[in-house]
Amino acid sequence: MHKSPIIMLGGLHIDLSIVLMLLVTCTIVFVLALLATRNLSVENPGKLQNFLEWAVEFVQGLISSTMDLKKGKPFLSLGMALIMFLFVGNLLGLPLGIVTDYHDAEHAKVFGKEIVSVTKELDKLHADAEAGTVNSDSHEEPEVGVAWWKSPTADPAVAMGLAVMIFLMTHIVGMTRNTKNYFKHYFEPYPFFFPINLIEQVSKLLTHGMRLFGNIFAGEVLISVILKLAALGVGGWIASVLGLIVWQGFSIFIGTIQAFIFVMLTMVYFSQMLETHDEH
Amino acid sequence: MSFVWESSVLAIIAFGILYFLLNKYAFGPLFSVMEKRRELVLQQMNEAAQTREQAVSYVEEQKQALQTARKEALEIIEQSRQTSSKQTEQLIDQAKVEASRIKEEAVRDIQNEKNKAVEELRGELGAASVKIASKLLQKEVSSDPEQEALVDQYLKEVGGRS
Repeated sequence: MHKSPIIMLGGLHIDLSIVLMLLVTCTIVFVLALLATRNLSVENPGKLQNFLEWAVEFVQGLISSTMDLKKGKPFLSLGMALIMFLFVGNLLGLPLGIVTDYHDAEHAKVFGKEIVSVTKELDKLHADAEAGTVNSDSHEEPEVGVAWWKSPTADPAVAMGLAVMIFLMTHIVGMTRNTKNYFKHYFEPYPFFFPINLIEQVSKLLTHGMRLFGNIFAGEVLISVILKLAALGVGGWIASVLGLIVWQGFSIFIGTIQAFIFVMLTMVYFSQMLETHDEH
Repeated sequence: MSFVWESSVLAIIAFGILYFLLNKYAFGPLFSVMEKRRELVLQQMNEAAQTREQAVSYVEEQKQALQTARKEALEIIEQSRQTSSKQTEQLIDQAKVEASRIKEEAVRDIQNEKNKAVEELRGELGAASVKIASKLLQKEVSSDPEQEALVDQYLKEVGGRS
């Protein structure tokens, strides 16, 4: 399993691959959006503008399927930013991977900073090797691979971070715009349902983030497994190429679907928070 | 796979910045353009509906105008037919009157001429008879007016009898 390049910066664990991939994702999304809106035209829109408008209408459809579009209008640009960010982020890990291997702690450095995750792992491997000298028959040098290029959403911390962000937003919106119903709904249909309602909220948060992470992460794990098939000789090489073609296509599908589901659930959570029971 | 909470914070910060930038530089203008297009389409549809309504009312107007024009034309034809037949009758009547008048005049003229001719003939005959008589009687009958009147009277009696 590849490690993340984590360095210590001012007492914080900074995952450099996450920083890199977040930057790449944001840059691609922003450049794409800027290109699409460079020559805006009312009567004669360009191809990219058409595409972006189609995306806007798609998100509008998502919002209007969960709540009144008038109420949901403020969430339109949030949904657009989310779906573009997630779509690009989910697909980024597919085309390539950048992995560096480290054998000893001396060389595991970036910008003069120690990659703590690598050195820790190397220390552990060395300790294991010394402890198991009796039955170790090979003199294999301990090796740690570091993945630099991957989908940002294939990291549980990033996926959960986005989920937490949506969680906080929905609850703040619920508290400020729908105060009475927000606090009341914890005790519905009966007051003793309060713990269950709390669990529901927490489970919503967990599933929201973990669904995204799990799908994208599993896709990348399977890609690396298929790549390892190639080491089994000619047959394995052919199988790995065929498998990659199929799985890459399916991963594109999964990445798109997961971006869609994440945004869809975001809108559903917003609509639940804004729900008033007056009309019943 | 390790869970580093700093990554979550990084992700939120990155997404926040992206959201802000997109909102300011891309989505704001895009949404306004879409709104403008929506208004444009709405306005054009309204205009089209208005134009159609106008066209319908215009056609109706034209139809009515055509109807009245046709009615007027029929009236005019009817009128002209009536006046022409009246005129014909008048002309025929006039012609008849004229013809009878001309005929009457002609009859009267003929009568006059005849009378005149008879008168002349009578005069000439008188003179001739006087001449004959004077030749016959030589100088016995003078040609004074008394005797001439006598002859005339006699001749009148003869003419009237004949």
